[in-house]
Amino acid sequence: MGLGAWLKQSFPVDQDALIELTAEPIPNHLKRWWWALGGTPLYMFTVQVITGIMLVFYYVPDTDKAYDSIAYITYTADYGWLIRSIHRWSSNIMIASLILHMMRVFFTKSYKAPRDINWMFGVVLFLLSVIFGFTGYSLVYEQMSYWAMQVGTGIAGATPFVGEWIADFMRGGSEIGQNTLTRFYIFHIVLLPILLVMAVGIHVYLIRAHGVTELKFKGDEDVEKKTFPLWPDHVFTELIMVSIIMVLLLVLSILFPVQLGDPANPNVTPLHIKPEWYFFAVFRWLKITNLLVGVMGPMVFIGILFFWPFIDKFFDKVFPGKEVGFWIGVLGLLTINGFTVWEIFGH
Amino acid sequence: MDRRDALKNMLAFIPLGGAFAGITAMGFRFITPKKRDVTRRIFTMHLDELPINASRQITDLRGKDLVLVRTGEREVKAMSTVCTHLGCTVYWQKDNQEFYCPCHAGRFDKDGNVVAGPPPRPLETYHTEIEDDNVFIYFKDAEG
Repeated sequence: MGLGAWLKQSFPVDQDALIELTAEPIPNHLKRWWWALGGTPLYMFTVQVITGIMLVFYYVPDTDKAYDSIAYITYTADYGWLIRSIHRWSSNIMIASLILHMMRVFFTKSYKAPRDINWMFGVVLFLLSVIFGFTGYSLVYEQMSYWAMQVGTGIAGATPFVGEWIADFMRGGSEIGQNTLTRFYIFHIVLLPILLVMAVGIHVYLIRAHGVTELKFKGDEDVEKKTFPLWPDHVFTELIMVSIIMVLLLVLSILFPVQLGDPANPNVTPLHIKPEWYFFAVFRWLKITNLLVGVMGPMVFIGILFFWPFIDKFFDKVFPGKEVGFWIGVLGLLTINGFTVWEIFGH
Repeated sequence: MDRRDALKNMLAFIPLGGAFAGITAMGFRFITPKKRDVTRRIFTMHLDELPINASRQITDLRGKDLVLVRTGEREVKAMSTVCTHLGCTVYWQKDNQEFYCPCHAGRFDKDGNVVAGPPPRPLETYHTEIEDDNVFIYFKDAEG
């Protein structure tokens, strides 16, 4: 038996199925890169998995050693500063591109049935990514890490009824300490990756099952062919995007390498403390509301976002042709941006 | 196998399902941190070390700072420096005579009462006791 025949027998691949899988028709609007941002978070996640595994070679999840191990990675290990910077910057780009992708889906109403459940998986993916960021920078065990853990678990703890249990579960006790770091480490490198990969799998499967939403633009009426094939046309568009993003990621990591703050001090909250940029709006919200409203506000927001396809459907039914959903989206976006800017420039 | 037989066969798995549920519950209990509520009586300082109206910062057994304020001849107040909003540490601002929390801008007066911002209640106080001019505080150790 020849090598080709043996391979075909032992590793049977259905050629027709392969052709069908790669010949998925892609709507014409995806030729423009700004409509094709959905893949970017996945590429960034891949970068994070690779750099994350590399960081774990040196990181020690011990409250007495975690900071020093990060200092070793940053200042002593060869190219450690670069690997760590790429890890951090890719998480930022991942969340930024997720926000842009969600805005695109929201304002083009691509979440409508039958894609409603896929939108919900998208919201779950966004939440998982944000929790990834939160648990990730907690592991550094610098001042910002410690107080982010304190505030984050405090927010969870203030949730009515189940809050105390959740906060204790996250902390591994009543206080931030070794148990907390161990748990955050497990969340960050084991549980969240598993959940995220599962959710991405379902998200991508549903995209393939429903097909990409076809958006119509002026001038498109004259175009006879409304779609183009995934392979090779769209794959090349994606490859160009990946290349540009990778260059951007490298430039950011080299020009603005991630720094290391002061080590965690459980007795002194820094006078000027700010979380990551994607938490600015929530941080400001917490300053101007009482604790219950402060904690429930973001949860209600996430709830609305999660069930948005059904809420929007309701608005369309009650106020036909009024585009209520669109204006709520604009208002929400302006509010979040307003709070973020307020937090950047306010005290 | 028809549906009736299938259901009958399934019944045999009920004990196994029960055992599985039990093990799941045990696993759930395992990852839930243990808590114990022990009130400890701790010696802090001699009364002579704390003049009337003066305050001293000390560290409790869990490594958290707290403030002792002598408010009378034989009266000492012990206050936590942990903000009641989301657990950050407050700063004493001499100029305003206020405690200030840098996380979400909460403010407390010198007795720990909320003056401004989002904190839901005053700073936590500890029960104190003076015995033979020695100042003791009681606090709950909730750590597992």
